[in-house]
Amino acid sequence: MQTVWPLFVYLAAAAAVPAGMIMVSFVLGARHSDRATGEPYESGIVSTGSARLRFPIHFYLVAMFFVIFDLEAVFLFAWAVAVRELGWAGFAEALVFIGVLVAALAYLWRLGALDWGPKPFARLSHSRHKDS
Amino acid sequence: MAIGLEHYLVVGAVLFALGLVCCMARRTAIGILIGIELILNAANINLIAFDRFGTGRFDGQIFAVFVIILAACEAAIALAIIIGMFMNFGTIDTDVADKLEG
Amino acid sequence: MSSADWIAISPLIAVAAAAVVVMMLAAFWRRHAIVAAASMIGLAVALFCVLPARSAAPRMVTGLLAIDEFGLFYVGLLLKGSLAVAAVSYGYLRARGRDAEEYYALLLTATLGCVTLAVSAHFVSFFLGLEILSVSLYALIAYTRERARSIEAGIKYLVLAAGSAAFLLFGMALLYAEYGAMGFAPLAKALKASGGANVYMLAGMALILVGAGFKLAAAPFHLWTPDVYEGAPAPATAFVAGVSKVAMAALLLRFLTQLGATDSRPILIALSALAVASMFAGNLLALLQRNVKRILAYSSIAHIGYLLVAFIAAGPMGAEAATFYLAAYMITTLIAFGVVAALSPRDRDADAMEDYQGLFWRRPWMGGAFVAALLSLAGIPLTAGFIGKYFVVASGIGSALWALVLILALNSAIGLFYYLRSVVAVYARPGEEAKAADRAPGFSLAGGVALAVLGFSLILLGVYPAPLLRLIQTAIASL
Repeated sequence: MQTVWPLFVYLAAAAAVPAGMIMVSFVLGARHSDRATGEPYESGIVSTGSARLRFPIHFYLVAMFFVIFDLEAVFLFAWAVAVRELGWAGFAEALVFIGVLVAALAYLWRLGALDWGPKPFARLSHSRHKDS
Repeated sequence: MAIGLEHYLVVGAVLFALGLVCCMARRTAIGILIGIELILNAANINLIAFDRFGTGRFDGQIFAVFVIILAACEAAIALAIIIGMFMNFGTIDTDVADKLEG
Repeated sequence: MSSADWIAISPLIAVAAAAVVVMMLAAFWRRHAIVAAASMIGLAVALFCVLPARSAAPRMVTGLLAIDEFGLFYVGLLLKGSLAVAAVSYGYLRARGRDAEEYYALLLTATLGCVTLAVSAHFVSFFLGLEILSVSLYALIAYTRERARSIEAGIKYLVLAAGSAAFLLFGMALLYAEYGAMGFAPLAKALKASGGANVYMLAGMALILVGAGFKLAAAPFHLWTPDVYEGAPAPATAFVAGVSKVAMAALLLRFLTQLGATDSRPILIALSALAVASMFAGNLLALLQRNVKRILAYSSIAHIGYLLVAFIAAGPMGAEAATFYLAAYMITTLIAFGVVAALSPRDRDADAMEDYQGLFWRRPWMGGAFVAALLSLAGIPLTAGFIGKYFVVASGIGSALWALVLILALNSAIGLFYYLRSVVAVYARPGEEAKAADRAPGFSLAGGVALAVLGFSLILLGVYPAPLLRLIQTAIASL
């Protein structure tokens, strides 16, 4: 406990500074309530609409691809740590693993899931018409 | 005080209980999904803690990596189905989807 | 890994490679017939790989997979079942007429999960196989995403399956904590050394049984079953009911046998409670149903109850009875849902009793196959279901489980009622309306061949079960 007391002093000081600032500005500051007082400040531009709007579904797709492909890197890190012990057999297995991932990426690309524009999955619907 | 196995187990148990409550109390599909992820992570904490303080053979830690990957796959599919639900029902409240009897 | 290891796991590799090939075909050469043919060829190749794998058995591969006669028997069974599902799916998806290609990739990954479960001897491969299977099944069940029911079934299965998998994982973590092992064999050794059950072990086993019981749809973890069976597209239902349950049961059989868990009294009591609850819940609730898919769902719950009786019966006889029962159950279920799939029009599944009114007079072969499946489910002689039930009862009597056998007999009598009610509907004279609406849009040549082969094996096993029985005996002896 003896060695920790400077930490508590530091914490108290850190709390006191912003508290004091708020107090002083509360006592001394001018008060007014104009039309724009309560509105959020966005670099002088008047904000429009609610913050709860729907995002295009494409953001979800990109987020999902990121999560999936990013997590697969975990296996590669695990392999990288033990690369010398695993030797060529481990290298071949890592290659197969990456190969499957590349195949998945090629699939996504072909389906148009990576296209960014007004008509996602255009290729899929095109081939659908051809089939049916 | 050194942090030992018990501390991890308590965190794991608390997380498990929180996840269970979240699964049962939430009505939206995403809320339930979050609860399931909590339970999976509770098991993960246990696995890693047992590995670190018990066997020390890394098998628990490797298992945890597998669990994380599988949880991500599950979340990807789950969100896709939840989007399908929103398109069909206009909501992701699981109480509203009761077209099937029972 | 040595080359013998690679040969031993070649069926699994073949299925995994087929999944990737089918995904590439779906991306670059999007033709339904080609993708379907490729996936069936992939499954056939995997089935062929079982032969060289048998010559390499028994062998532990990387400590995760136990390639032995038992595992390979189930791998063969699951691959055959999956092949039948793929064949039946073709006609069904052609009738639906839009993006069918990804279905086959999902079917193959689900099959991969199943065969992994059948040969897994370690918690990691157990959980990995289970999750590969579950994640594929979520997508398969919700595949007809323009139908609200399909999506709803997918959500229900997703929430409950993911929850139960989380429970299962926590149970595994507890057993790992207590015994410091994850492989079934080391776990059994540690269990013996510690001298019997304790709280951790029982809690862990209870959580694992909850997870497995959920996948098997044993009461009281059966609540998802009727809704998922009704909402999912019929071929996906066939896979959930016929193939995925067999895989889970195979794993449970190996797990319980290797751990010697059936010697532990609390576990026996838990299994007995599951069995009795499943039999009664399934049969009594089935009486109230008019929807064919829901009747089959409740009937499957009851059948899991019968199966658990064989699990409880100790020794190789119980395991043999359970294995034969599972084979018979898989064939029967695939026929029943295969007929449902073949009769289903574009926009819904043929699940109303009216769809089957006079089916025998309209389509004698399909009606005959459906009746054979119903009779096999009821356990009428000359069908595989009868022989299966006979072995289960015999193993129960052999272990002096009088109460369970009595309940089984009582439930078979209750079951007879609703099976025969459906049979009567199939034989009834069709109304003019049904005659006019007579179509089987989901029928395809591949599906027809699959149904014919399944129907033939159903009768063959009912008349001449000896060869399969010999195969099962060698399989169980290796366990």
